[in-house]
Amino acid sequence: MNRNWINRLQIVSISLVWVLFTGIAVWVFNLIKESLRLHDAPDASVGISIVAIPVFFTLASVLTYVFIGLRKGRRKDVEP
Amino acid sequence: MERAPAPPHPDYPLLRPIEKPGRSFYFIVGVLLAIIAYTGYVYVRQILFGLGVTGMAQPVTWGFYIINFVFFIGISHAGTLISAILRLSKAEWRRPITRMAEVITAIVLAIGGLHPIIDLGRPDRMLNLFYNGRLQSPLLWDVTSITAYFTASTIYLYIPMIPDIAILRDRGVRPRWLYEFLSWGWQGTEQQHKVLDRAMNILMVVVIPIAVSVHTIISYIFAMTVQPGWHSTIFGPYFVVGAIFSGIAAILVLMIVFRKVFHLEGYLKQIHFNYLGILLLIMSLLWFYFTFSEYLTGYYGHEPNEMRVFWYKFTGAFAPYFWTMVTCNFLVPVILLGIRKFRTITGILFASISVIIGMWLERLIIVVPSLANPRLPYPTGIYIPSHTEWMLFIGGISVFVLGYMLFARFFPVISIWEIEEGRHESAKAVTERIASYMPDPQPSSAQE
Repeated sequence: MNRNWINRLQIVSISLVWVLFTGIAVWVFNLIKESLRLHDAPDASVGISIVAIPVFFTLASVLTYVFIGLRKGRRKDVEP
Repeated sequence: MERAPAPPHPDYPLLRPIEKPGRSFYFIVGVLLAIIAYTGYVYVRQILFGLGVTGMAQPVTWGFYIINFVFFIGISHAGTLISAILRLSKAEWRRPITRMAEVITAIVLAIGGLHPIIDLGRPDRMLNLFYNGRLQSPLLWDVTSITAYFTASTIYLYIPMIPDIAILRDRGVRPRWLYEFLSWGWQGTEQQHKVLDRAMNILMVVVIPIAVSVHTIISYIFAMTVQPGWHSTIFGPYFVVGAIFSGIAAILVLMIVFRKVFHLEGYLKQIHFNYLGILLLIMSLLWFYFTFSEYLTGYYGHEPNEMRVFWYKFTGAFAPYFWTMVTCNFLVPVILLGIRKFRTITGILFASISVIIGMWLERLIIVVPSLANPRLPYPTGIYIPSHTEWMLFIGGISVFVLGYMLFARFFPVISIWEIEEGRHESAKAVTERIASYMPDPQPSSAQE
């Protein structure tokens, strides 16, 4: 497969990771909104979300750091 | 044009299964696919006819699916958690083990996570969780924590694989585009090593609390109810201990199988089995301690509903399973692993298989007796798993074996670069570490 295509695929994959994790965060926020609307223990919902959402974003950040770091860390003169 | 043969590699035994898979690989994959296809048919039948095709009925509304869910998620603790602890404690002997362990987690979590959906007569109702989920429900905590653990474990498996994927890419192994894509331009530069080390250090720290939280939360599905036999404050740590226990047993079985099949005697040595065997023995004692505490406090309370479940397990219909569990989880491993002359690879294999069976029975004993003897004035429930449930269990195991075989077909099951790094740097690192914590020699009394 063409190297350009592989590069594009890699960028798409890392973007998808962010889309997925942002989706999870939006879902959790939506559940908090529901619990507020229904007066259904919103404090518990907020408490759990404070733990859950940063975990996903930490994972996405680590993955992004690795992908960008590996690309930047390549030798300029040699192609893999 | 014919491809030039790949250059020789010092760790070729680890590359052989990828570059030259045997015929038996395709045969076993075929058999497993046939079992999985039949399991798929059985599941479609369950969707069409409903949960009536299972052995579940009032009051036993949870059966094999939830037992297997807890069991598989427990096995998943083998990998990422143990690997992270070994890496964090800089245990040098971990090097040939960590990847095998991490793969277990990724595959088994995917299988275990599907079981609650299988348990739904209407799987489409899973969507209600996304539309109208209640965050204060332990079931939703489960979805969140398992998703987080699966994601973290997959990343934790993948990142240390990048240098090995680059080896396969450079050797021209097919499909080359896949290795090219997954290696992210790895060239082994100092900067790339730094990035990899930093990311792994962060992941190690993140993954341990997530792993512990997963099985604690699974225990909450039971402990947060007031069902007799479930409403226990030690269920969280009890489940975590049981999960690590069964996980270590699963790693040992896989290590022994891969050692035999791929001739990895040079990588997986007696010392690895000895260390993990001792760890399994410690976990067996810890498991017994938790089990003893759990039942002793229940017995001392002597609450009538609690006692109905207690005697149901100890002398009633579930007594054969209960005492087999105690034998498999405590007596067999303590004898085989505690007595040095039995602690051979064969002895460890028997002890590990015994623990896996025992831990599955433990999940059975936790789930069914409490539901069969509810607080409400129901007659004692009966649960006999149906052909559908057995098939989905066998299918789950087949998916695991297939997933592991496919992984081993495309990626090395032992980390090549970590072995190489160990050969070059371990001795120096260990010497420096010992020097850092040992006291300096004191001046002799004559000099004083």
